[in-house]
Amino acid sequence: MALSFHPIRPLLQTGSHLSSRLFSYLGLGIGVLLLLCSIQMYVNIQQLLGGSTPRKDGYDFISISKTITNETMGQLDKNLFTAEDIKELSSKPFVEDVSPLMANNFRFQISGGSLVPFVSDFFVESLDDHFIDTLPPSFHWSEGQQDVPIIISSDFLEIYNVFAPGYGLPQISEATATQLALQLILYYPNGNREVFQGHVVALSDRINSIIVPKSFLGWANQRFGATGAIRASRLYVKTKDANNPDFLNFLQQKDYKINKDKTKFGRVKQVMQGIFSGLGIFGLLVVIMSLMLFSFYLQLMIARSRDSLQLLLLLGYSPQWLSRKVSRQFIPVYVIVVLCAVALTQLMHWAFHHFAMFDRPELSNWLHWSVGAVAVLLIFLSVFTNYRMVKKLLYRLHQV
Amino acid sequence: MMTITLQQVLPTYFEESRKQRSEIWGKDLLFNKGEYIKIVAPSGSGKSSLMHFLYGLRHEYNGTIRYNDSVTSRLTREGFAGYRKDHISIVLQDLRLFPEQTVQENLEIKRQLNPFHPPEKIVEFAERLGIGNKLASRCRICSYGEQQRVAIIRALLQPFDFLLLDEPFSHLDDNNSQKAMQLMLEEAEARGAAIIFADLERIDYFPFTRLFHL
Repeated sequence: MALSFHPIRPLLQTGSHLSSRLFSYLGLGIGVLLLLCSIQMYVNIQQLLGGSTPRKDGYDFISISKTITNETMGQLDKNLFTAEDIKELSSKPFVEDVSPLMANNFRFQISGGSLVPFVSDFFVESLDDHFIDTLPPSFHWSEGQQDVPIIISSDFLEIYNVFAPGYGLPQISEATATQLALQLILYYPNGNREVFQGHVVALSDRINSIIVPKSFLGWANQRFGATGAIRASRLYVKTKDANNPDFLNFLQQKDYKINKDKTKFGRVKQVMQGIFSGLGIFGLLVVIMSLMLFSFYLQLMIARSRDSLQLLLLLGYSPQWLSRKVSRQFIPVYVIVVLCAVALTQLMHWAFHHFAMFDRPELSNWLHWSVGAVAVLLIFLSVFTNYRMVKKLLYRLHQV
Repeated sequence: MMTITLQQVLPTYFEESRKQRSEIWGKDLLFNKGEYIKIVAPSGSGKSSLMHFLYGLRHEYNGTIRYNDSVTSRLTREGFAGYRKDHISIVLQDLRLFPEQTVQENLEIKRQLNPFHPPEKIVEFAERLGIGNKLASRCRICSYGEQQRVAIIRALLQPFDFLLLDEPFSHLDDNNSQKAMQLMLEEAEARGAAIIFADLERIDYFPFTRLFHL
């Protein structure tokens, strides 16, 4: 018959400090709840603001242009970026990468086709692919291809939808926009033209322009362009922090203009993540505090049961067996406390998703797996630290 | 076969001259399984110290005590637990019972650690020593004599090669002492075990094979 802890249990004096024990359970529960909620909210923010933000992988993507003043108006040399400008900017430590936005140097028109019957002079630009936030695999063009993929700024669609009713044009949704067949009309300097089929493959929150594949614009500029040299009027910059004072000073000094709007979304997300990281750290501190409180309670219990434990060791009970059994007493409590915290986190997440986010599809109804993993880790951590401490205390007791 | 060896053992708080007068302190001794050792020791001669040293409760001595080949002062706590569970049992002078537990519970806590006897033996032994009606009483309210008999029965519920007795009859009358001695002798014989019996004076009903003056 296995050695039973049943006759030993009454020897542990746990009774009269029930309130301190309950307090430490409560503290532990609150701490775990804070920690788990923070993790879930952190994940929620990632999922809500994740894919479509200008800030991607911890970087800010911003466009800069030269400030056009009354003095520089009409002087292309002063308003466009030269190769030297780009080189200088790339060499700065606060700049991770630079890509020029190349524009068309020929007349370009866009037509909505039969569904949206309008024709307008427009511009197109191209940019290195890795600067594009919503890059679909279909975004490439090779010579001879009639069909040209386009990425447009989601702002443009919004602006179009504002003025469309006034011109008797239909308003269009994002989904429809990506199905529109557009006509791209490219003019030679002599007025002759060629027509290409365009279709919108994605909308971008980051890039405030109409983007075509680099290969297409390079080819078209050569073929239709009036001037040989092509320089960029805008640059896209990838930086760790668009609010870096050195960076802003440099821009000011060079008289470059920054598109601040585009970084705001990223800043908001950063601030939110900061808040929830802070909350998570606070939760972790509360967990540590309550584990400490619980360890004081354990020490008190062992001190109060000192005579009994000492006698058990004298009788030949193994200190290791006793530590294991004593610390195992608290596993169900830990499991219950953590499970309650997980259940409450699930409830709060559901409430957030349902009432605050109106069941947005980016979020799941269920907790992220990392929340469960942290909960399991916490149980293991508490049981392990308890076992270590009880064992240490019992070994210290062993001398009569 | 288990042995206990003493080599030049002397409590650190005793003066060297004790070695001359004592037949145990400062001597080399070997105790074998099956022997009945009687140690006669007047008050203050270190009787309880010797028993505590032999059981590994204290280590304030110079010299060496060995269980078989293991030096006890180097045994781990788990190592001691193993010996106490399987090989060495003790009746301490200060009894050491759980005061808030009943007699039955006190005995069961020891018995279940390494059962040599079935639970029914607890009742049988208690009846034999005249405390059968005390099994359900808390030890705290038992008399010293009753508690002493509980401590004796407790020592007999496990397997052992050595039974250490430190004034086990100090609170018992002659009649009860003889009954208890008889029971201990039977149990030791059943295990082929040795008894090391330390008391203030010689007791006629302990058939010792070796006698030492401490």
